[in-house]
Amino acid sequence: MKTIKTKTGIGKWLPRKYDLEKAEGTLQFADDLRFGSELLHAAVVRSTVAHGEILKVDDSQALKIPGVLKVLVGEDFPHHFGLYLKDRTPIAIGRARYVGEPVALVVAETEEAASEAAKKVKVTYSELEAIFDPVKAATNNSVLVHPNLHKYEHVDFITPQPNTNIANWFRIRKGDTEAAFKHAAHVFEETITCPQIAHGFIETFCSICRQDPGSGEITIWTSAQSPFTVRDIIAKGINYPLHKIRVIAPPIGGGFGGKAGMTVEALCLAAAMDEDLKGRPVKLFIPREEVMLSSWVRQGFVARIQMAVSEDGFMQGIRNTFWFDTGISAEYGANPVRSAGYTSMGAYNIPNVWADCYAVYTNKPFGGAYRGFGLPELMSALEVVVDIVAHKLEIDPVEFRKKNLLKKGQTTCTGMPMHDHALEKIVDKVVEKMDLHNEEPAIRKGWKRGKGIALAIKAPATPADASSSAIVKLNGDGTVEVLAATMDMGQGTYSAFAQIVSEELGIPYDWIKVYYPDTQSHPYDWQTVASRSCWSMGMAVKRAASELREKLLALFAEYWQTPVETISIEYGVVKCHKLGKSERIDERVQNGFKMPDGILKGGPIIGTGSFTPPDLIYPDPDTGQSSKVVAHFTLGAVGIDMEVDPGTGRIVANKVCAGYDVGKAITPINIKGQIEGGTVQGLSACLMEGMSYDERGRLLNPDFTDYKIATIMDAPTEIECFWEEVPEEISPYGNRGVGEHSMIAPAPALNNALFKATGMRIHSYPLSRERVYKALKAKEKGESDFWEWPYELDLAYMRAKKEW
Amino acid sequence: MKDKRVTITLNGRKTILVVEDRTTLLNALREHGVTSLKRGCEEGECGACTLIMNGLPQKSCLILAREAEGADILTVEGLVKKGRLHPIQQAFIDEGAIQCGYCTPGMVMTTYALLKKNPYPSDEEIREALTGNICRCTGYLAIIRAVKKSAAILSGNNGGGGTREDY
Repeated sequence: MKTIKTKTGIGKWLPRKYDLEKAEGTLQFADDLRFGSELLHAAVVRSTVAHGEILKVDDSQALKIPGVLKVLVGEDFPHHFGLYLKDRTPIAIGRARYVGEPVALVVAETEEAASEAAKKVKVTYSELEAIFDPVKAATNNSVLVHPNLHKYEHVDFITPQPNTNIANWFRIRKGDTEAAFKHAAHVFEETITCPQIAHGFIETFCSICRQDPGSGEITIWTSAQSPFTVRDIIAKGINYPLHKIRVIAPPIGGGFGGKAGMTVEALCLAAAMDEDLKGRPVKLFIPREEVMLSSWVRQGFVARIQMAVSEDGFMQGIRNTFWFDTGISAEYGANPVRSAGYTSMGAYNIPNVWADCYAVYTNKPFGGAYRGFGLPELMSALEVVVDIVAHKLEIDPVEFRKKNLLKKGQTTCTGMPMHDHALEKIVDKVVEKMDLHNEEPAIRKGWKRGKGIALAIKAPATPADASSSAIVKLNGDGTVEVLAATMDMGQGTYSAFAQIVSEELGIPYDWIKVYYPDTQSHPYDWQTVASRSCWSMGMAVKRAASELREKLLALFAEYWQTPVETISIEYGVVKCHKLGKSERIDERVQNGFKMPDGILKGGPIIGTGSFTPPDLIYPDPDTGQSSKVVAHFTLGAVGIDMEVDPGTGRIVANKVCAGYDVGKAITPINIKGQIEGGTVQGLSACLMEGMSYDERGRLLNPDFTDYKIATIMDAPTEIECFWEEVPEEISPYGNRGVGEHSMIAPAPALNNALFKATGMRIHSYPLSRERVYKALKAKEKGESDFWEWPYELDLAYMRAKKEW
Repeated sequence: MKDKRVTITLNGRKTILVVEDRTTLLNALREHGVTSLKRGCEEGECGACTLIMNGLPQKSCLILAREAEGADILTVEGLVKKGRLHPIQQAFIDEGAIQCGYCTPGMVMTTYALLKKNPYPSDEEIREALTGNICRCTGYLAIIRAVKKSAAILSGNNGGGGTREDY
């Protein structure tokens, strides 16, 4: 029995942990740590060709710059790293595969000297033919990005195809799709494309590495979401014992998946482990214009979706082909492909599903984890296709969606039964709050107004055995310290953990401290990804806190000679109402209780908790079928009211309404923050984001001047967010993740609203001003659909530049 | 070579920075220990290094340290008086206008400059003033709420106190 009282448990709106230090400016991020004058600095020399043999690296001019100590090349640190597939080395060895790939690393006494010298390193290449188009790369093997694909180690749930550019091929084969399409009353086929996009976190990458020369022990301070996975990947990459690698993760300035796995740590480590430099800490700070070249971005995609619908409007079958452009590495990118495949049916009950999701190598910067992990990609295509089908069938898009919703007990495309959820209620609420069926006149003169809706669905697509553990320590004054190696990168998990501990211990929130992770002190956690922390680590923290409570209550029960059931912890004070006892928690919880029989019992009280998902089974590689492939799904819906200026192609969102079934809201302040933030990030991706390349594969928009992300001027006037709470079975309090989900539906909802406003359907993201303008011009000529090859826009820029 | 001395008033105290000709004010102050100024882009795009120089909000990455000779500089550290947060900082916390916190010092300083100049800004004026400060986490609406709340507090018109939307 739990007998606690608290005013600061789960569900309360409280000030977030570490917001005070953030407001004061005193919270130290990796770049703010100080290491004294022994600190060395590294700067990266990057490939200028998209594909080429490295013939020579001439560092003679670089070494003449005062303060420059060493120039490292790939052969100096010949280790392969990767989370799911070991297909990359920190510095290119032998062959450069994209413009911007590290080909040498300069180490110097100052940052200025290092970056100056990096410009003086001369690299000569023998250029090879490069490939940029993912569909071509997948279907034509004339250029192989990784001829050694068959040699790379990988986890057994991905299926690389040697001698091709396909790094992972995930399949769903459910039911009889052929028959479904043959007998369907209506069959549709649509294609949607989207370029690579970038996370746009404001803190760039920063790592500091040091190796102790005698013991060989390595310490890494790094802007990372997942310190234990950084340690794991490095240990496997350099074949090193885990206990000799310590990863300290200071607060990070935004992650969004871009600082998951291992990013630039191994590159920095290459310098720190060098025989000539060993012992001195080396810092690698990645400047803004190199961020998209240093680690993964979101994969671009070309999606072909076919849908079979019965006479009475029921979805009978779906065939998805997704070519994900994963650039030169699929070490992480292999998995969003699987994640998208797991949800090939979207939020619908479709009995027959055939899906092929490919991670395709091209000679571009690489793709990987990004908020939503494959689902914003899938759903920004699928939810538009569903809308197209509804309009073509002349069924109201809301009705069409509701009619086909995936309900409790119906099976997903991987064959697992869907759990209970509130999606139908959420759709109804969004429709009502947006007055979605009411076509209103535009607010701005000459503009066109429309309203659209899209659904969101996502499961945590982690490895089946992704685990968490936590330690909760009770101090000698009743305050509590929590060691849970989740990274609070702004989503506010530490506030959630403190509220969970308060809920379990009856100790006030303000007495509870949660520390940023350090692999030396914290117990293991897999990663801060997949919106899994309040759920998976939440389980571990809850278990640790309840274990601590049981230990504490047992000691007081013996001390007071009363049954444990009669004791409660209320607002930090231990009470027994039956005996009229009330005592503060004091040093007895660390030094022991002198029991009535004179014996000292107890000693320092700690609680520990672990969690591993108990019942997940990897799907069959040929069919994608499994009894339970993911822990749960979070579902939701987004409605958007927008206007477009036909004269300029500019789109403005008037109002957005977003609702999700979160199971249970642990920290309302965070859920609201996640929904608002993800909505704007989704709109930003939809309207303005896309990495552009020239015909030689050079990134044209590496910084915020050219790669536009939403500013405050682009935020909608109003975002109305709400949530429902249909509890999850295996979960600390019934809660499910919601951090990433808010980014899934805004793009397709906006796209659908644009169609409603203009009658024009744009099949290529982003819905940039020039593209919308061009589409509306095409509409005047009688076109109804507008489609541009993902890189068409870039080539148009190039042509325009030449004309100028 | 660091051989140039720059004298500034930093958060009310006379301070001497030793710099190179090419050192930016951002890097000089960070080296001095003012790490609330963040290196988000170092080319004037993101606003994470915003400070107040002679009364105006400035991106310190675009100013050479030597240009700041004699300047009066205020950073977010200077807003905390005797351990008490400035109402703008408190409003950012209360309204959930902070997530990762990397843009926060810059946001707070731009807000500070805005409210000095315009104590009663409209939504449109708030958006215009903060357009040079990028935040990737919050979606900005909480920041607008925080600016409005701090404007109300600073002008002595708190309209019934800080209301929280208690879901």
